[in-house]
Amino acid sequence: MLLKRISLTVLFFLLSISMTYSQEKFTISGAVYDQNSNETLYGVNIIITDTRSGTTTNEYGFYSISLPKGTYSIQISYIGFQTIEETIVLDKNIRKNYSLSESSQQLNEVILTDRKGKSEIRKPEMSVNKLSIQEIKEMPVLLGEVDILKSLLTLPGVTSAGEGQSGFNVRGGGADQNLILLDEATIYNSSHLFGLFSVFNPDAIKDLKLYKGGIPARYGGRLSSVLDIYQKEGNSKDYHVNGGIGIISSRLLAEGPIVKDRGSFLVAGRGSYAHLFLKLTDVENSAYFYDLNTKLSYKINDNNNVYFSGYFGRDVFSLNNAFINTYGNTVLNLRWNHLFSDKLFSNMSFIYSDYYYGLELDFIGFEWNSGIKNYNFRYDFKHYLSDKLKVTYGLNSIYYDFNPGKIEPSRPDSGINEDQLDRKYALETAVYVDAEHELSEKITISYGLRFSNFLRLGAQTLNVYENNQAVIFNTDFQIYESATPIGTVSYGKNETIASFNNLEPRFSISYALNDSQSVKASYNRMSQYLHLISNTQSPTPLDVWAPSDNFLKPQLLDQYAIGYFQNFKDDEYSIEVETYYKNIKNRVDYIDGANLIANEAIERVVLNGRGRAYGMEVLFRKNAGRFNGWLSYTLARTEQQVVGRTPEEIGINNGKWYKTGFDKLNDISLVANYKLNEKWRFGANFILQTGQPVTFPNGQYEYLGITVPSFNNRNEDRLPTYHRLDVSATLTPNKNKDRKWQAEWVFGFYNLYNRQNAASITFRQNEETARNEAVRLAIFGIVPSVTYNFKF
Amino acid sequence: MKHFKYSIAILIAFFTISCEEVIDVNLNTAPPKLVIEASINWVRDTPGNVQSIKLSTTTDYFANEVPPVTDALVSITNSEGTLFVFTQVDEPGLYICTDFVPVVNENYTLVVIYDGETFTSTEKLLATPEITRVEQRNDGGFLGDEIEVKFFFNDIPDETNFYFLGIKDPNKIIPEYNVIEDRLFENNEMFGLYSNPDFVTGDTLVFTVSSISLQYFNYMNILLAQTGNSNTGPFSTPNSTLRGNIVNQTNFDNFALGYFRLSETVVEEYIIE
Repeated sequence: MLLKRISLTVLFFLLSISMTYSQEKFTISGAVYDQNSNETLYGVNIIITDTRSGTTTNEYGFYSISLPKGTYSIQISYIGFQTIEETIVLDKNIRKNYSLSESSQQLNEVILTDRKGKSEIRKPEMSVNKLSIQEIKEMPVLLGEVDILKSLLTLPGVTSAGEGQSGFNVRGGGADQNLILLDEATIYNSSHLFGLFSVFNPDAIKDLKLYKGGIPARYGGRLSSVLDIYQKEGNSKDYHVNGGIGIISSRLLAEGPIVKDRGSFLVAGRGSYAHLFLKLTDVENSAYFYDLNTKLSYKINDNNNVYFSGYFGRDVFSLNNAFINTYGNTVLNLRWNHLFSDKLFSNMSFIYSDYYYGLELDFIGFEWNSGIKNYNFRYDFKHYLSDKLKVTYGLNSIYYDFNPGKIEPSRPDSGINEDQLDRKYALETAVYVDAEHELSEKITISYGLRFSNFLRLGAQTLNVYENNQAVIFNTDFQIYESATPIGTVSYGKNETIASFNNLEPRFSISYALNDSQSVKASYNRMSQYLHLISNTQSPTPLDVWAPSDNFLKPQLLDQYAIGYFQNFKDDEYSIEVETYYKNIKNRVDYIDGANLIANEAIERVVLNGRGRAYGMEVLFRKNAGRFNGWLSYTLARTEQQVVGRTPEEIGINNGKWYKTGFDKLNDISLVANYKLNEKWRFGANFILQTGQPVTFPNGQYEYLGITVPSFNNRNEDRLPTYHRLDVSATLTPNKNKDRKWQAEWVFGFYNLYNRQNAASITFRQNEETARNEAVRLAIFGIVPSVTYNFKF
Repeated sequence: MKHFKYSIAILIAFFTISCEEVIDVNLNTAPPKLVIEASINWVRDTPGNVQSIKLSTTTDYFANEVPPVTDALVSITNSEGTLFVFTQVDEPGLYICTDFVPVVNENYTLVVIYDGETFTSTEKLLATPEITRVEQRNDGGFLGDEIEVKFFFNDIPDETNFYFLGIKDPNKIIPEYNVIEDRLFENNEMFGLYSNPDFVTGDTLVFTVSSISLQYFNYMNILLAQTGNSNTGPFSTPNSTLRGNIVNQTNFDNFALGYFRLSETVVEEYIIE
């Protein structure tokens, strides 16, 4: 019923708008560029100072605003750029592009009063964090590798299971519940080297935005968050090269015009050094990663732009030719921006993305390949109906091809039988509409609805189980076991095996108390049809994705959030406080001893559970001045529960709620930057968080001559509190001033006071004494780094 | 398939500048529970009449000894009702029977009476294939610097099989076990693989193979994961209470730990060349 009412409301608002539309109005529209490079700028504020209304540029730099006939003063402002103010006479529709120049090229005072990231007061957007690539680059990092994902961990509500672990967790969601988009294409694995670094080359990235809640209707398919990352388009004015040399990897980026002021290219490569960390020189070992980002942009005319983006990344490990492991993502995207009118912007995208995992174990004569491919079509429209109402709508269709695994003998004498696990196919389609609507000077709302459909398609032969139960409960031994199939059923090519529909309403509201204070609330429902089959504390590269079917039900989430936002002292400081509550249905968990690898019938080891997460987040920022940065604090709880399907069954963890492996009760991050002078900049991070939940033994026993720890309820103990301090100093030599070659040195220390943070505590028998012991593994002590960056 | 996890653990060790340290941890201790180790191994080419069952209880994780259970009644009955009684002889907690009659595919029922409660379990004695050959390589292991020994046997054809492998390495005081399945090797030659950089010529390895049930395969998989070097950390799976196949008939919730299993067992000695 709630759903219906919301969709009616949407209609009502749309109608009410078309009625007020008849007044004589004109439109000013265009794009905003960086004067230096002609890169379009995303999120530029266009403010009509007389009416205090305004808009922001979209992902492609486009803006449009419609106003009654008149003379207005217009202000165009963007972080790090000089503000433009001018008067326009609006007596006809105007097309006007603006080019902003970087404020750093001006007087120092401009930078010092620059407002970095003040809070949005009037927009209903909440639970969103933006980090500029500049802010990310200023943060001290592990081994000098600027890392987008690791920087996100300093924001409230974002954590990772632990140091050196892959993925990140947003408001208690799993790492597989994040939609990570690189130029709109899904990235399935965001980590290099099992989580030590992320797959994004910071030089090629323009902007990023993380939605933790209040997610607009145009996004869907994952429950917890959307990380939207945009690649740079490339400089269409001049040729430039920049790069960096670090301890782990080197980077190089080239960009320039193809056709001056119309077309540009960008190519960026990054590679780590082979034999990374490997001190073993007498044998053939190598371990490295590399990635390549490309982008071509071409402006056909004022109304049409085309873009081509590509990404290719791989991790390669080879040990003595006995163990060869390769994995990574590939992404291609072709986009066409078209303006139907000065009020109607559209973008059409054809996207391909895949994730590949390959492993060869020569000593057991075994070769393994798995992966996921998708073909994605989107058509999105943004309609600037009036200065008070913007509507976005569109459709999105994704075809998936899953390869759960192919096993081949790697040698003729291998005893391995060749086996292709059944490929799986699915089609996910969604249509959506979303409106941002300024109801009064104080109240702005945004409301949307997404309808998603997921079809699991053939060809495939599936098992049939007695009573439709693929997991059975052994009442004698009180354990879950896999059921034996009683038959099979075959589906033809493209025949529907299972079908799911979901309506996903999204709603948020902001109420501005005044120009610098507001309260906001939001609700969003999300559905996720893909499941990452992973039973480890954090995902590993070999985990496979599986589509929803009659056993693995689609995951559903409802999230409610309220928040308070304030800028004060002339926007120099800002504070954001939010609380949220999330409910998750159909989160899978696994029966004890489940073997997930090369498992043809995953349904035989999974049970559907539910999850809940709640918490409070505080973000306090100092936006301006030589000294700036932020303090974030999160108080959160995230739990899961799998109850028995019948009263006889015990469920998982005896049916009790248990903390997930990434539950962090307290999480504090302090990020500070200080600019001493033109030559020196300093940065520091301090992180303190509750230790990871773990299960410690509550006894031991002897079996077959070995001692076995005995365990009770899941995740009731914790690793010791995690904390560390990182510092960095950036030196920009004076001699840069008058030459083309610009260089900087970045020196850093990760974990300055060498805290031995526990990544795990293992309970084991000492190999020499056979006595039991607890062993703490600390991954990184103090780690120094130096990086040299250049551009010309 | 455990090779996967093993491989990842090895890689992580390579890639991280990690540091291991023994630390003190305060642990809670649960009330003691009965542990029944009832593995009946009919060693090939022996009468198999002498068998033993070990009873103990759980204790504090850092205790040096596990307390033996000395006052229990232990017996096994076959499907015809023949009773084989196990009695304590010298070692406390070790119950021995000298007139056991092993028969392949025969069903046996274990009965343990302890503290007024009766624990039972019924299992079949499984057949085990012969070890056909042994290979030694001196460039084995991940890095090619270890002596590696492979024991081959032929998978029992046309059925789904699981095997329990044990290795006694004179260089190690903790025995090594593994369980494998024939899922990818159906009807082919299978092998157990073991390598150690410390092997020297003349070391005697004792290798055992026993057929096991799917349930015991699952049980041992969990048990070995919990005792191994990676029972916590990013690539570990959640730990939980490990239940075997022994049921408390008197007080259902007070279950015993451990397992009752029976099989033929093939033992092969190999001297490192």
